[in-house]
Amino acid sequence: MTLKECYAAMGGNYDEVMGRLRSERLVQKFVLKFLDDGSFDLLCRSMEGADYEEAFRAAHTIKGVCSNLAFNELLDSGSQLTEALRGGNCGPEVERLYEQVKADYARTVQAIRAFQEGAGG
Amino acid sequence: MKNRTTRFLITSLIGVALLCVCVFSVFALHMSSQSARTINEVGTLYMSSMSQQISIHFESIIGLQMDQLRTLADTIPSDVVHKDKAMQQELIEGAKARDFSYLAFYSSDGSFEMLYGSQLTVTDPEPFLASLREDHRKVAIGTNAEGEKVILLGMPSPHPPTQEHNCAALVVGLPVSYISDNLSLEENNERAYSFIIRRDGSYVIRSNDAYRNNYFERVRVIYQDVNGMTPDEYIQALGAAMAEGVDYSNEFTMEEERYHLYCTHLPYSEWYLITFMPYGAMDTIVTGFSHQWGTLTVLSGTIILAALLLVFYKYFGLTQQQLREVEEARQSAEEAQEAAEEARKEAEHANRAKSEFLSNMSHDIRTPMNAIVGMTAIATANIDNLQQVRNCLKKITLSSKHLLGLINDVLDMSKIESGKMTLNLDQVSLREVIEGIVSICQPQVKAKHQQFDVFIHDITTENVLCDSVRLNQVLLNLLSNAIKFTPEEGEIHVALYEEESPKGEDYIRVHIQVRDNGIGMSPDFQRRIFDSFAREDSARVHRTEGTGLGMAITKYIVVDAMGGTIDVESRQGKGTQFNVTLDMEKALVMEEDMILPNWNMLVVDDDRQLCESTADSLSSIGVNAEWTLDGETAVEMVMKRHHRREDYHIILLDWKLPGMDGIATARRIRQETGGNTPILLISAYDWGEIEQEAQEAGISGFISKPLFKSTLFNSLRQFSGLPQAAAEEPKEHGRDLAGRRILVAEDNELNWEIASELLSEEGLVLDWAENGQICVEMLQASPVGFYDAVLMDVRMPVMGGYEATQVIRSLEREDKDLPIIAMTADAFAEDVKRSLDCGMNAHVAKPIDVREVMRLLAKFIP
Repeated sequence: MTLKECYAAMGGNYDEVMGRLRSERLVQKFVLKFLDDGSFDLLCRSMEGADYEEAFRAAHTIKGVCSNLAFNELLDSGSQLTEALRGGNCGPEVERLYEQVKADYARTVQAIRAFQEGAGG
Repeated sequence: MKNRTTRFLITSLIGVALLCVCVFSVFALHMSSQSARTINEVGTLYMSSMSQQISIHFESIIGLQMDQLRTLADTIPSDVVHKDKAMQQELIEGAKARDFSYLAFYSSDGSFEMLYGSQLTVTDPEPFLASLREDHRKVAIGTNAEGEKVILLGMPSPHPPTQEHNCAALVVGLPVSYISDNLSLEENNERAYSFIIRRDGSYVIRSNDAYRNNYFERVRVIYQDVNGMTPDEYIQALGAAMAEGVDYSNEFTMEEERYHLYCTHLPYSEWYLITFMPYGAMDTIVTGFSHQWGTLTVLSGTIILAALLLVFYKYFGLTQQQLREVEEARQSAEEAQEAAEEARKEAEHANRAKSEFLSNMSHDIRTPMNAIVGMTAIATANIDNLQQVRNCLKKITLSSKHLLGLINDVLDMSKIESGKMTLNLDQVSLREVIEGIVSICQPQVKAKHQQFDVFIHDITTENVLCDSVRLNQVLLNLLSNAIKFTPEEGEIHVALYEEESPKGEDYIRVHIQVRDNGIGMSPDFQRRIFDSFAREDSARVHRTEGTGLGMAITKYIVVDAMGGTIDVESRQGKGTQFNVTLDMEKALVMEEDMILPNWNMLVVDDDRQLCESTADSLSSIGVNAEWTLDGETAVEMVMKRHHRREDYHIILLDWKLPGMDGIATARRIRQETGGNTPILLISAYDWGEIEQEAQEAGISGFISKPLFKSTLFNSLRQFSGLPQAAAEEPKEHGRDLAGRRILVAEDNELNWEIASELLSEEGLVLDWAENGQICVEMLQASPVGFYDAVLMDVRMPVMGGYEATQVIRSLEREDKDLPIIAMTADAFAEDVKRSLDCGMNAHVAKPIDVREVMRLLAKFIP
């Protein structure tokens, strides 16, 4: 699996990120690092602990990272969740969006893992 | 038709001409006979009147003399006998006074008693005496003593004869000339003449040339023909007329000339006047008239004939003209019919092609549509099975793309057919075009494991005016066909070269060749390949999809829109080559002044043409280039130079070489010389897969085919110390911020790393603060002016960006107003406003845009 195919699988925009980072090596590096990023765990913990303020910040961070890496699908659901959580609220949408983010995140990670295995490390 | 008309015309012309001749001949004959009769009638009329004139004249002359004689006779008293001398003397004096030449008494016995003059004798006394006895005055002819002829006038005596005298009449004589002179018998004119005869034909007064004593004798001898009668018959007829006392008129031929004669009785005598007139005079007039008439007849006949001829000729011409026109009309009608037939066939053909196309298209469109519809249904049925849905969507996307391609083709074609396709001329770099094409085709070529090569040579002008979209379309079409119709492991070559254009100095002729060794085309199909809707319909290509419009569109773009040419050479099973020739206007931009240092370079490639062309390009940008065709020779050449301590400055190595390949060659060179001469690997392929190996072998970098002059220049300039790719990436900030220290407050490590990576490349030095609190502390711990700016995330744990900014701005430090730029995933207008409200200088949204960040930093860093 190439990096590009990995992006296609997760619903990201490979061309966009290449336009920004200009080097496949860099993109690959950051993409793999995404697996170690703790923002999603923070989001999960905060949501479970009903700490919506912290959850908002975590969602916001996810949004920023995804934006930088052009993980557009996760960026989209993450942005929606961020807006739903803004101001520490827990609106009716939050739960659904949270589930969506979880699904998107799972798919993104799955794609990256697949790529990681394909790339031999 | 033509012959019949001509024959009819000629026949009728001859007929009318003959008719003319006949009618005019009859006319002429009739006129000539008419004129003969006219001459006769005129002659008769003329002669009778002339004869009567003479006769009257004669009568009056004689009558006058008779009156004189009577007057003289009356002087004789009745009682006096003629013997009376006094009376005789008186008579003689009277007679002489009256110019009589002779005077005598004529006795009843026929003897003369001469009063004066010589003795007379009467030539024919019997009738004379008889008349006198009957008391009639009479004229007679006599002779005198000398034998001369004398006209005698007899006047019966007023006194009857007695015993004493037997005087019967008083007779006087006159010379013959008196009468002939007075009657002008001969001097009337030279043609007409007259004489006087007696009833027996003897002459009383004869004409000069008549030497005979009798007219009848003359007639018998001289006259040849008297109007169909013999002379004797004529004499008889004349005698009969004389006996009857009527005039006689006839015509005769004498001495080959025709004469008219007229005979009339003279009064007081037994004489007859015969007048002659030759036809000559009248003949001349009438014949002249008749000649004139004939001439006129012939002339008018000729004129009429000529007019007829003219009319016939004109009519003939008109007929011919009409025939020609009819012929022409027939021909043009035939031509029109043929053209119509042709057009009909063409229309039928086009129609058939369109029907075929439609049936093909409906199949072609149906296939992806079916996929889309089917996949949509499957996805709907398995809405919860993410994997399945994704799979479906992927197939739908592919099918949609294919469908879109078909529709685009059809739309292009309809644009072409309605003449709406126009070119947008713009400056185009051939290098970019080729590079673009190569990168697009690369994945397909790779997927089919085909060999793909691009050759360029003699490229003098890289920038031309052209519609890049359409040029790309042409190239992509040719290339995708080549890829499509070439089996796996096949070869595809693209060649590009330039030559001078016949259109002038401002133009350049560009040749593009796309060659493959694929399945080829049948000769029949090669003829139709550029037609709309053409697609080879054989088992081999049945599976191949497409509208069949691609080549028609390509041809339209190349030939009709761009004014170039395209042709195809192909053999089934051998391969196909398309040749495109275009005359393009040279772009008027100044090409970048491309000059490299006076290096010695080595080019190694197994393609001689590429080596030569590359060496040429290199020398044109100031580099001295040598070349060789294989790795072994290359190593030798490098060694030689190395020993002379004249190492090459740069070496270009083809990756794929016969024998030792590029990487092995590079390795050898590195081993042998150990130097760090840059070695660049030439490759048409994406070198990602060999990058590692190449770097390990000591390859310094890659250079991608095709090797345009600008490709060479841009790849090599990095080794020259010249500013790198200044033209390609103009730096907007225009300021070198290298070495500036930036504090980045960012809670997320990944984001930090990205920012760090990107901004370090720009020469910035970055420190990381994990939240606002740390950021403030780091700033406080640093010397004044240590940091040139802060990039501040907004959402951070412990202390957020807004808060941190407010803290920094309130610090008791000289550099508390250093530039702080918000860097956040929030991009709403209120976010921007809030950032600025709390003292930040600017706001950029994630994802991080290096150029924007650098621009702002340049703007705010003093």
